[in-house]
Amino acid sequence: MKKQYLLLIIAGLLTFFSACNTESGYKTLIITGQNNHDWKTSSPILKQILDETGLFSSEVMITPDKGGDMTAFNPDFSKYKLVVLDYNGDSWSDKTNAAFLDFVKNGGGVVIYHAADNSFPGWKEYNEMIGLGGWGDRNEKDGPYVYYKNDQLVVDTAAGPGGTHGKRREFIVRTRIADHPVMKGLPARWFHGTDELYSLLRGPAKNMQVLATAFADSAAGGGTMRDEPMLMAITYEKGRIFHTAMGHADEGGGPAMQCAGFIVTLQRGAEWAVTGNVTQEVPFDFPSAAGVVLRPDFKEVTLAEALSKLGGYDIAKSTKYLTCLQSNISNAAGDPGKLLDLEKQMVTLLTGKETTAEAKKLLLRELSWMGTDYSVSAVKGLVSDPEIKDEAEYALARLQSGK
Amino acid sequence: MTDKSSRREFVKQSAKVVAGAIILPNIIPASALGKGGSTAPSDRIVIGAIGTGSQGTSNMRDFLELKKAVQFVSVCDVDALHLANAKKIVDEANKNTDCRTYDDYREFLEKEKLDAVSIALPDHWHGIIYTAAVNKKLNVYGEKPICRTIEDGKTIVGAVKKNNIIWQTGSWQRSQSHFHHAAELAINGRIGKIKNIEVGLPDGGKGIGTPPVKDVPAELNWEMWLGPALKVPYRGVAHWDWRWILDYSGGQLTDWAGHHIDIANWGAGLEHTGPVEISGKGVYPLDGIFNAPVEYDFLCKYANGIEMHVANAARQPHGMGATWYGDLGWIHVDRGNRISASDPKILEEEIGENEIKLYKSDNHWQNFVDCVRSGKQAIAPVEVAYRAISVALLGEIAMTTGETIKWDPDKEEIIGNPRASKLLSGPYRQPWQLPTV
Repeated sequence: MKKQYLLLIIAGLLTFFSACNTESGYKTLIITGQNNHDWKTSSPILKQILDETGLFSSEVMITPDKGGDMTAFNPDFSKYKLVVLDYNGDSWSDKTNAAFLDFVKNGGGVVIYHAADNSFPGWKEYNEMIGLGGWGDRNEKDGPYVYYKNDQLVVDTAAGPGGTHGKRREFIVRTRIADHPVMKGLPARWFHGTDELYSLLRGPAKNMQVLATAFADSAAGGGTMRDEPMLMAITYEKGRIFHTAMGHADEGGGPAMQCAGFIVTLQRGAEWAVTGNVTQEVPFDFPSAAGVVLRPDFKEVTLAEALSKLGGYDIAKSTKYLTCLQSNISNAAGDPGKLLDLEKQMVTLLTGKETTAEAKKLLLRELSWMGTDYSVSAVKGLVSDPEIKDEAEYALARLQSGK
Repeated sequence: MTDKSSRREFVKQSAKVVAGAIILPNIIPASALGKGGSTAPSDRIVIGAIGTGSQGTSNMRDFLELKKAVQFVSVCDVDALHLANAKKIVDEANKNTDCRTYDDYREFLEKEKLDAVSIALPDHWHGIIYTAAVNKKLNVYGEKPICRTIEDGKTIVGAVKKNNIIWQTGSWQRSQSHFHHAAELAINGRIGKIKNIEVGLPDGGKGIGTPPVKDVPAELNWEMWLGPALKVPYRGVAHWDWRWILDYSGGQLTDWAGHHIDIANWGAGLEHTGPVEISGKGVYPLDGIFNAPVEYDFLCKYANGIEMHVANAARQPHGMGATWYGDLGWIHVDRGNRISASDPKILEEEIGENEIKLYKSDNHWQNFVDCVRSGKQAIAPVEVAYRAISVALLGEIAMTTGETIKWDPDKEEIIGNPRASKLLSGPYRQPWQLPTV
């Protein structure tokens, strides 16, 4: 009976989400088909990442192959709110260029993903949209280098080539404009999964804000010793462009695309490009300076999933489900109903036969301060269990303190 | 396992043999002869050390550098290697082999007749051992932060008051002239009336995941290292790295509160009070045994209208250090002799005869010794240290609960929030308890 009920709920939720996607999400066009990178891997992942939010309903459009007839590529941009470029290839037709320009000028949102900032070196308006680009014989004629040095933004007109990257490595991304909608609430510093650290990007850099940088350490090989722009927000007439230099696709997306920081900044940047605001909450698993966080399935862990995993908790495997619970507790602050609901789920888990001693210890620690009278009898019942006696006494002492 | 424990037992026993070899202290503490007595060596402060890891031995060396000011006679640690190293330092200084060693602070406090004790332990031990030492009427040089919980802090402050001893906190920045100068300019209104304070403390670093359970090294008494903290298996993390684990510390935030929050309080005249409202958010590691926040960002409002913003350095305009903002300008101060102001001329200002003169010390360890001799209050007394760390502890509670915390700095209570109030104290693992004052 219970299982059937659950299935019904899941089915309901699925209908709800797919409704969001197909009917109420921002219509999004992901353009790919030519790239020096593995677009066949990256484009469906970009689609999944965007659609996962429930905010976007995206489709992937594949251009003719390199050297093909580009006049055949002629999308109706006016149908979309957002265009995501996973494209680094042949020039589009003049007609298509003009249509895209029109789309942006009239307020269309654009996401420039990784090697898309290599594309179209000779298209002036495109380069103004992306702010900074690399490779394709870009040099001082295309605009200055832009980077941070000693925490100061530097616009550097020195001569030299645009675009390089050292050895792939994990690196720390540093927020530069903390109150920009895309960055609000994100950590000041977070580890990004192994990626190409795009460096020496240069371009018109007009109406561009550098939202985040990464230090290209030379010790890791090929570094510029500059804090290079990683996330940029550009406005072009009425249009907004979010540019992420990160996310190099390896097999299955690899650590650069699986990185929760890449995923979440892409989701937030895409929303900003469409609306100028970000309504998405910062997820509990956003990475920090403590280390890289990967989402192998590109999805955020839900509380329900975390609670189901917590029962079999083994600290040696992962502590992230506990962190999820803790984050939910702190987010429920000021809402006694929500807190009691969490407490009830924790007590259920605490008294569950399948629950490991390790898991009980953790739950007792949390309940010790966030618990109410509701927890007391369950906790009392555990004092006699030699394996968790210390934690049960600890929790009981705290639960009953101040009475 | 049995092999390991028997080896540990052996180390323990040999430490005891060393301790037992000398029955009577052969150095009579200065207190026994009356402070201010001028005959050497009893003129020296007779001192022992509890906790002789990196910070403990660093403090010992700082004391020994003072010319004939102190004589160490005994050391105590739960790690036999730390203990042997500390004994070596003392014996070299004393040019003998008399330094007594203990692996249990209770025995140390019971047997040793001292003027003072230098204590440097993981924070979770501070409440119990500071209070126990003070209850023995020992003058204490104690490392910051002085407590892991508000309750620990209140108890220690109460014990110091009751026993009327000299307390010096290891907040040594107070004894550096540029910090003193900056604080004195701020408190004397050189930037006008102070409105806001910004405190930048270190950013947290990379985690280590969850290392496998290991055999406890023969030299370490793990059970005693844990003491009042909940029992967990040994994973190779104890010395130094305890500061990234919430059972023992609050991370960079609480580690550094006793420095830059302390200085900020000093220059703003807040060192005997606390905020009335605290709110903020932390960034916690997702995974692994290091679970202290790697970023923290909270705002403290004071009854007089001042707002103090405490955050990791990457979030602060001036980075590390303390910055006071008044209606006429700002002053920023940090380590490495860094001091700056909105107008550099402010820094050249001198403090006049009738203005507030902040306590001046040029050497933090000498100041303690001088005060033990004179009976005067040291530059970093216990209540001031408690007020500095309580800002961080209340910030920690606000971040953990997600709530805006209302604090009564006079009654030292959280107002109207039973859940948050439970975080003011950490129940101890039986049989450990905070000593009564």
